[in-house]
Amino acid sequence: MIDSNKIAVTSRPPHLAMLVLMNLWCYGLLLLWTLLGILVFPFAFAVGLLFLRCSADRVMRWFIWIYGRGWMLLMSPFVQFRRQQMELIETGKPYLLVVNHLSFFDTYCMAMLPVYDITFAVRSWPFRMFWYSGFMRLARYLDVEGSSWDEILSNSNSAFAAGGTVLFFPEGHRSRDGQLQRFYSGGFKVAIAAGVPLVPLCIDGTNRLLPPGRKWLHPCQISLRALSPINTADFKGQDGHIQLRKLVKKRMGIALEEMRKGGV
Amino acid sequence: MTEQEVIELIDSSLAEEFELARADMTPEANIYEDLGLDSLDTVDMVIVLEGAFNFKIREEESVRAIRTLGDIHRFVFEKVSGL
Repeated sequence: MIDSNKIAVTSRPPHLAMLVLMNLWCYGLLLLWTLLGILVFPFAFAVGLLFLRCSADRVMRWFIWIYGRGWMLLMSPFVQFRRQQMELIETGKPYLLVVNHLSFFDTYCMAMLPVYDITFAVRSWPFRMFWYSGFMRLARYLDVEGSSWDEILSNSNSAFAAGGTVLFFPEGHRSRDGQLQRFYSGGFKVAIAAGVPLVPLCIDGTNRLLPPGRKWLHPCQISLRALSPINTADFKGQDGHIQLRKLVKKRMGIALEEMRKGGV
Repeated sequence: MTEQEVIELIDSSLAEEFELARADMTPEANIYEDLGLDSLDTVDMVIVLEGAFNFKIREEESVRAIRTLGDIHRFVFEKVSGL
């Protein structure tokens, strides 16, 4: 993994043999890694409960973060991961994180963050996928479509009280063209109501790894940049969340443009 | 408030909350198909209207029947006019 260094990005299309090798390697090992995770999970979970001495949901979130780290390792022969400005995130401090959404693999890439206790805010449909739902419920992920505002805020506050972070994808869907889409207000309202700082995150490259609607993985470089935390206490009033949302979107737009030009 | 003032307040409030382009906000625009709102926005839409007009509508059954921006205009105007 590389930290905040300029790297020239080659735009040459990959050779067919390289693509075949990458897809066999990545999909094959991802399947094995997932099966191994499912088999090992009950023992690892018990050991985690015993030795980490923290709540079951926190152990689950740690396990998911480890799974993401393993995925990054499997992908690393073909994918270059770059973390930028991660020192802006202090471990053990509660934050609300918002990140743009480009690909199915964005969630895996959150293992690039320096914190493991991440409660994802997700829509209802992933909770209907039986192979995910048990783990998601155990990790106490937020179902932003199926829960009331009071439940979402209460569960977020529980995560913050334990020094954890809550992560929203404010666009709600993957962007088809890489540009920022409309932002939903939910995450911004939670950050203001809970009184925690908001950290915007910008991800780039996962749309080249697996473009929406495609099945073939492509070699690429994935960058995740943290922007300066924003004090949400400055955003009071009925339209406070709108002002916060506009500020965050503006900063993310500028940062993404800079990242795509290869700047740091 | 006149009907035109009600419409203006609705449109400006919804445009701010949901990042909508005013040019797309015609009375016949379907709020889901044409304006791109979805189930996550429905609750927020009610909160926005309640905040803008200082009334409570979240328990009202007729809110569920709203499909177009024109439906919202009519619903809110009837509410603020006490019809």
